[in-house]
Amino acid sequence: MAKYQSVFKQLLEAHGGPGFEQDVRNLILPHLSDYAAEIWTDALGNLVGLIPGAGEGKRPRVLVSAHIDEIALVVTRIESGGFLRVAQAGGFDPRALVGQEVLVHTQSGRVWGVIGAKPPHLTPPSERSKAAKLEELYIDLALPEEDVRARVRIGDRVTLRRAPVDLLNGRIAGKSVDNRASAAVLLEALALLKSMVHSADLYAVFTVQEEVGLRGARTAGFGLAPDIAIAVDVTFGAFPGQAPDESFPLEGGVAISFGPNLHRRVFRRLVDCAERHRIPYQIELSQRPVGADANAFQIAGPGLAAALIGPPIRYMHTSVETVAYDDIWQCARLLAHYVAEVDALQVEELTCY
Amino acid sequence: MLLKELTEAFGPTGFEDEVRGVARRELDAMGLSVRTDVLGNVIASTGEHHPGPRVMLDAHMDEVGLMVTHIGEGREDGGLLRFRPLGGVDPRVLVSKPVLVGERRIPGVIGAKPVHLQQPSEREKPIPMEKLYIDIGARDADDARRHVKPGDPVAFATAYDELPHRMAKAKSFDDRVGCYILLEALRRWKGALPVFGAFTVQEEIGLRGAHAAAYQIQPDIAIALEGTVAHDVVGTPAHGQSTVVGKGPAITVQDGQTVAHRRFAEFLWETAKTRNIPVQWRRVKGGTNDFGAIHRVGKGVLGGAISVPVRYIHAPTQVVSLDDVMHAIDLVVAVLDEIAKGGFRP
Amino acid sequence: MRDWVMRLMDFVAPSGSEAAVVQALLDHVRDAADETWVDALGNGMARKRGEGPHLMLAAHVDEPGVMVIDIDDRGYLRVVSVGDVHARECAGRVVRFTNGTEGLVHADPSAKGDLDFDALVVDVGARSREEAERMAPIGTAGAVHVPHVTWGDDMVMGRAIDNRLGCAVAAEVFRKLAARGLNVSVAFTAQNAVGARAAQAAAFQLEPQYALVIDGAAADDVWHDDPAISLGKGPVLKVMDRASVVPLEGKRAVEQAADGLHLLLQHEVSRDAWSDTGAIQLAKAGCMAIGLGYPVRRAGAFAATADVSDAKGLVDLAVATAETLLG
Ligand SMILES: [Zn+2]
Ligand SMILES: [Zn+2]
Repeated sequence: MAKYQSVFKQLLEAHGGPGFEQDVRNLILPHLSDYAAEIWTDALGNLVGLIPGAGEGKRPRVLVSAHIDEIALVVTRIESGGFLRVAQAGGFDPRALVGQEVLVHTQSGRVWGVIGAKPPHLTPPSERSKAAKLEELYIDLALPEEDVRARVRIGDRVTLRRAPVDLLNGRIAGKSVDNRASAAVLLEALALLKSMVHSADLYAVFTVQEEVGLRGARTAGFGLAPDIAIAVDVTFGAFPGQAPDESFPLEGGVAISFGPNLHRRVFRRLVDCAERHRIPYQIELSQRPVGADANAFQIAGPGLAAALIGPPIRYMHTSVETVAYDDIWQCARLLAHYVAEVDALQVEELTCY
Repeated sequence: MLLKELTEAFGPTGFEDEVRGVARRELDAMGLSVRTDVLGNVIASTGEHHPGPRVMLDAHMDEVGLMVTHIGEGREDGGLLRFRPLGGVDPRVLVSKPVLVGERRIPGVIGAKPVHLQQPSEREKPIPMEKLYIDIGARDADDARRHVKPGDPVAFATAYDELPHRMAKAKSFDDRVGCYILLEALRRWKGALPVFGAFTVQEEIGLRGAHAAAYQIQPDIAIALEGTVAHDVVGTPAHGQSTVVGKGPAITVQDGQTVAHRRFAEFLWETAKTRNIPVQWRRVKGGTNDFGAIHRVGKGVLGGAISVPVRYIHAPTQVVSLDDVMHAIDLVVAVLDEIAKGGFRP
Repeated sequence: MRDWVMRLMDFVAPSGSEAAVVQALLDHVRDAADETWVDALGNGMARKRGEGPHLMLAAHVDEPGVMVIDIDDRGYLRVVSVGDVHARECAGRVVRFTNGTEGLVHADPSAKGDLDFDALVVDVGARSREEAERMAPIGTAGAVHVPHVTWGDDMVMGRAIDNRLGCAVAAEVFRKLAARGLNVSVAFTAQNAVGARAAQAAAFQLEPQYALVIDGAAADDVWHDDPAISLGKGPVLKVMDRASVVPLEGKRAVEQAADGLHLLLQHEVSRDAWSDTGAIQLAKAGCMAIGLGYPVRRAGAFAATADVSDAKGLVDLAVATAETLLG
């Protein structure tokens, strides 16, 4: 049974944008140590846990990753009056930022703020129909200018402040479901694997700086050089108006990606594994290199066999990203069963085209 | 005929199997040492025991194509296939072209609403990809599903033909012409130099195969063999043509992802001139080729590109000069000779 | 430092054509290094082995410019950009090519809207195609010529101050750290202006644990009342750009070093730059790379202004940061 729901919600409340993931890392660390024989952090900040496989001799090496950074903002200017201007560290839709509560992460701790919005009374009709641009938005800390200047520096990071919301049917809404949902997948999968026998050495990697260019995955992929690298990341949940091939129902199970830059044999094995264990799944097609850690893994060093799976979420890159915990659970089941089944033969077949 | 077989092979980006099969067969017949890597690149090598420089010759196997993304279920679109591009396909060239779909190469055509039924405003714009369907003749969705599935790759169905005056037309001269040059150069060249022939995957979606291949080979010198844009047609001033078909292989000084190694570009040029091989500069900055990825791999790689001018690159029917192709083979062999003789030191 | 920087600014070195200025910089550090070399992409490198973890210094030597891409029968040149250059900035200006040839840029008077390079022609005074091919063959790079000017002791205006000033800083920091017996290298990197293409290969060869990457930082003190970065207010910590985020440990080291020196420190967030820092941190399995800068008015443009006193502060800051990091 799933055991990390409450940890998942803690993860949603933790703050960690690209390059400052330490709080999230620290939250995961004690749980990872329940399974990993060795744990370390690399030069970029990726948290790696090694779970050795059973058996003697050369073992297959499998990497599974979930990025733990969330999209964030960064202070670019302190205006007169103490209002802050910001830039993206990730990809917010500025329209979804208006009126949001935020936390500014300063050297001396967190400061509350709100993203200002002009009241409709003062907004001429011509302006009301226009989308807000990030450059026009500002953060109001409700502090005197001197206090702001004393505490905030250019370059300080800003994250959304949002407690997770429990919806019906085990669905959970909050910020940074992308991609803490997949961090929960990894933890659930490690728990499941504990009662399975696997011959592969498993590297569970919580990667950093995905949202700004898959950076953690690049150094992790190169440094660990596994035989197979599976990224776990969220995808688009079904919602009216989306194209059928870009829309995956919640509780529809694991989205398994298929496309030119993903290894077709690993894809095939994942689908077979889901079929055999009656794990619900849906196939996501990509025509370009996928926008997730798997993209970087594929061309790390001499090239790796890369795959991508993940739960669907709605409202991606907002403060109300919504996931069904059952999808997290099914992803974990698939990941655990797949890893348990990887053997030397499956590594050999990776170069059989 | 090998060029015909290569261009007619089915190989949308990520689905290069048929091309890989042809390349492997030819390389095996030459007795070279050949392997396939995890990404699907085919890497042949010869003379590895000779002292360097290690030379990598590269040609990509993939072509631009389409992927089936959805099978229509409704009353109107039942059995029609929705698709998206695999690589940089210009939507303007798609309408009313025959294609082949999936592993079983099911024939289909790309259809759109007849011009009679389009609003005058619609007629003024290119038809967007969302309004195009592949029709394989299926009666409904279930019928279509018996033959194809979402995720199936799609390639243009264009036959190779030779035209008067040593011209030829086919699909995917970009970059089967490079594969052909690479195969023929390896067949002809006999010398003492470590030479690696890399037939790479997924160039059209970001030079991905070449990246990994170069890391494995760790070459000192690399040359991408490419089909490149030629627009020597009516209404285009000389400085807008990029290359001219029939004037020989083209050498790059700068493109979208590389600035030429000046000494090496001049070495290519001089080698051609001294052997009376016609050669031209590629006179445009846009576009790139596998060298854009290769030169940045590892400790950095010196080199460049030798390209054959191709009219209507990325469209279903492309045109080349067979003389340019032969001259490109001559030039590659000449360049290997010169490097082996110590005529260029990295 | 100022006069040495102005000598470096005299080199015309658009991305891919850096050989001459790289040699000048390597000559300058050679006596402090165990070895120096130039790699396949044009990076110039110097290495001094010593105690402790290895720290790499880096500064790009190249600048944006133009390149001859075609020559017509009358001997006029067509050019394309090298890096982020706008055609309108070149119109009516003098271009100086790497081989010393100079030409005047003409813009097509019938071109409408924003100019592109198709609308430009460079006249090098050639009477025929053949003569032009001798003077500036296809592939020759050049830059818009801007004579440099100094104001007072420290203010310098001219072409390529970004990043020849950074090269001078990196060279000086390298000499100082090498003199202290530390394990240090410096890379004068090529091809930054076309998208930081060569720095990763440099780091791949050097395999540092730490990297300090020196580059200009865009000052906004001309058009802003509350500028984020001003000339004369000290060196800059580059917190974030399109390719990198400063690691927290690195940020702390820089801020501590600045405090220790009682040095004003400015912070930069750039939406534009694809920095060498980003490329270097991702070489092999990664390293801790920190971007440091000096303010530049009109950074990235053909004519820009910097205050050499900021760069002097930057030398001290980089040395102190290195000492903090290397323990
Ligand atoms: Zn994500
Ligand atoms: Zn191509």
